[in-house]
Parts: sequence; structure tokens; C-alpha cells
Amino acid sequence: MSSLDVVLGRALTVPGISGAVLLDAVTGLTYAESGDVSGSQDSCEIAEIARTRLTRAGASGELESVVVTTSTRHLVTLQLPRRGDPLLLCATVDRERTNLTWALRELHQHADELLA
Amino acid sequence: MTQSGTEEPLADSRNVPALLSALRDRARSCTVRVTGAPGGSIHVRDGLVVAMETPGAPGIEGLLLRSGRISEEAWSEVRASDTTHEHLAAELVARGLVGAGELEVISLGALFDAAFALSLAVPDTWEVADPVPALHRNAGVTPERLLDEVSRRINLLAGEPGSAAALARTRLRSVPTAGLPGTAAGLPARHQQVLAHTDGRGTARDIAFALGRGLFAVMMDLRHLLDRGLVQPHTSSAGIRPSTATRGAPTAPPSTASSAAPRPVTLPRREPGRNSAPEPRPHD
Repeated sequence: MSSLDVVLGRALTVPGISGAVLLDAVTGLTYAESGDVSGSQDSCEIAEIARTRLTRAGASGELESVVVTTSTRHLVTLQLPRRGDPLLLCATVDRERTNLTWALRELHQHADELLA
Repeated sequence: MTQSGTEEPLADSRNVPALLSALRDRARSCTVRVTGAPGGSIHVRDGLVVAMETPGAPGIEGLLLRSGRISEEAWSEVRASDTTHEHLAAELVARGLVGAGELEVISLGALFDAAFALSLAVPDTWEVADPVPALHRNAGVTPERLLDEVSRRINLLAGEPGSAAALARTRLRSVPTAGLPGTAAGLPARHQQVLAHTDGRGTARDIAFALGRGLFAVMMDLRHLLDRGLVQPHTSSAGIRPSTATRGAPTAPPSTASSAAPRPVTLPRREPGRNSAPEPRPHD
């Protein structure tokens, strides 16, 4: 198992996180995925729309995260800056099993481990 | 097309994807050498593709060096420490030059990028040879996934100025207004970098090598810049250079009537006694 798969697998042990996928923010290439990632298929496109529209609207700084909330879950996308094109860590979070703040904290910790 | 090796010949190898599928079915470990433009090598381990190298796209080494992730000196030391080049990836991680996850991302990215670059032209020939060491750090990719990803990329790039292959061949240059203050201000930093390299001399491949980024990623950015009208295909300079030829009717042949011909203009000649230095004045 690759080191990316191991870290994503650990992310799934967090209560409420049912799926995680690591994408290339520019090409949309999937580097690794684990669990239910059906809700993350368009995450790259959504992040790109958010990034370009915000920049065009005059917002400064780099995109950090996008959270799309439905009645049952959050689709969390974290942009991971690195030397080179950024990555996206996308996770499906069950609203009934955890809260968004806790899930974001856990995901940020796993994001740091991903590229180490 | 030739095949070598000790195993029985691969019957289903009418094209490279079919060959890779046959290698997958037999769980072969080998190197497929592809000739053509750009050509390259496909490294297969236990039937899975783990690495590709082609002059058409930056490889792992180029991505690591050109992006500044590691220095030339550090890379030379790693290569010197592993003369067989079978454990370069492990050595890079063990020396702390790049993280294991980061190298895996770069390895997979370079693999899919090379597959995309190879797909832009029909190969001339291909042959199956014994496996040779190749820098990689991934568990391997099935030929089906490679094909799906390449198809997705080609579809994403469809549009003006034509197919993905046409875009890859096109030399783009920034439009004159792209340099005006505020025009490129709303662009992400990576788009501005690509824009700065669109000088009409290089293709997407050249920009990718210069920036240490993937070919497809650069082409995606070029597509975005094309859509925003900030770059345009570069035409030959002969077509756009203003004419310096004499305007007006062509000169008539010299007439025999000397009165109608213009008088020749001669240079002024200096005559003795003229243009001499002025006499000194009393107050000088």
C-alpha cells in the first residue's frame, strides 16, 4: 500500500469522515482515494470555479478551502499548497456524526502527514 | 514492431494500449521501447505501468530539479550512491530530500503526463525488452486507468485551435494588451508565470520544461489564457512584418530626354578661403 493510501486510510478512522481523496488541483488527477468518494467527483472543478471567480472579483490571497453543505453531509475540500501545483484533499463528512470544526481540524492534521 | 524476451510472443499487440493490456494479463515485468515523435520508454512491473519516460514531457528528474525541490549537487550525490539506479526513490526519501508522499505524487503525475504526451502522436514502432531500472515510487497503474485518464485529458483540451495535439504543436504568444497594467492582475500566479513564457518561440512542452511543471497542466493553463484572449497563436514574422518596400509607382526607366531627368545632387564641396575660423573679437 502506498504512503498516500495509508494516510488517507487513517483519515477514515476519524468519526464522521466516510471518504477521502487526494487530487491534483490543476489536472484533476486522482493520486489516492479511500472510502466513499462519490461526492468528491467534481471537487476539482468546484475549487477551480471558486478560485477563479474569487480572484476575478478582487479577492486577494490563495484559496484555502471550499465547503459545500447538503442536508446530510459536508463536502470539504482543502487546498494543500506545495512547491509546484497545489493538491486538493477532499473529504465527505457526515453531519450527524461530527461537526464541521472538528472535521476540519482532523483533516488539516492528516494533510500535514500526506506529503511528509 | 518487434518483440524480444524469453517468453512466448504477445499476440495481441496491434497497438501500444493492446500491448500493455496483454502484458497486464501475463503480469509481465519489462520495458516497452516506443519509437517515433516523441517516443519513449514504458516501464512495466508485474503487469502494471510504474513509469514512463519521454522527451515529450518532463520526467521525475526534471520535475524535481527544475522546480527547485532538490539541487543538482544533491541529485548527483544520490545517483552516485546508487550506481544501479534501482533504489533512487528510496535514496531520495532516506536522505530527506523529498517526502515519501510528495515523491509518490510526483511519480504518478509524471507517469500520467508522459502517457498523455505519448498519446499526442502515433508511434512508429514498439518493442518489448527486459526491464531496466527506472526512478519511480508508486504501486503501478493498470493500462485501463491510463487510457481513461488520457481520454479525459484529451476531451478537456478540445476546442480552438483544434485538438489537444494541435494545441501542443502551436506556439503561442501573449497579446500586446496582456502587458498593460491590470490586465493580468486577476490571474493566479501560475497563469501569470505561463503568460510570461508565451513569447511565440516555444510550445507547451518547452514551457513545461522551463517551469518544471507537467505538460498537461501547462496546456490547461494555456487553454485558460486562450479563452480569456490573453494569448494567441503565433504567426510567422514574415506575415506580420510591415513592408519596407518603396511605395508608389515603380521607377520609370531613364528617359532619353535629359531635360526631364532630375539633376544629380552633389555633395557640397569646401572651397579654399571659405568657412575659415572667425577673426578674434576684442573681448575674447
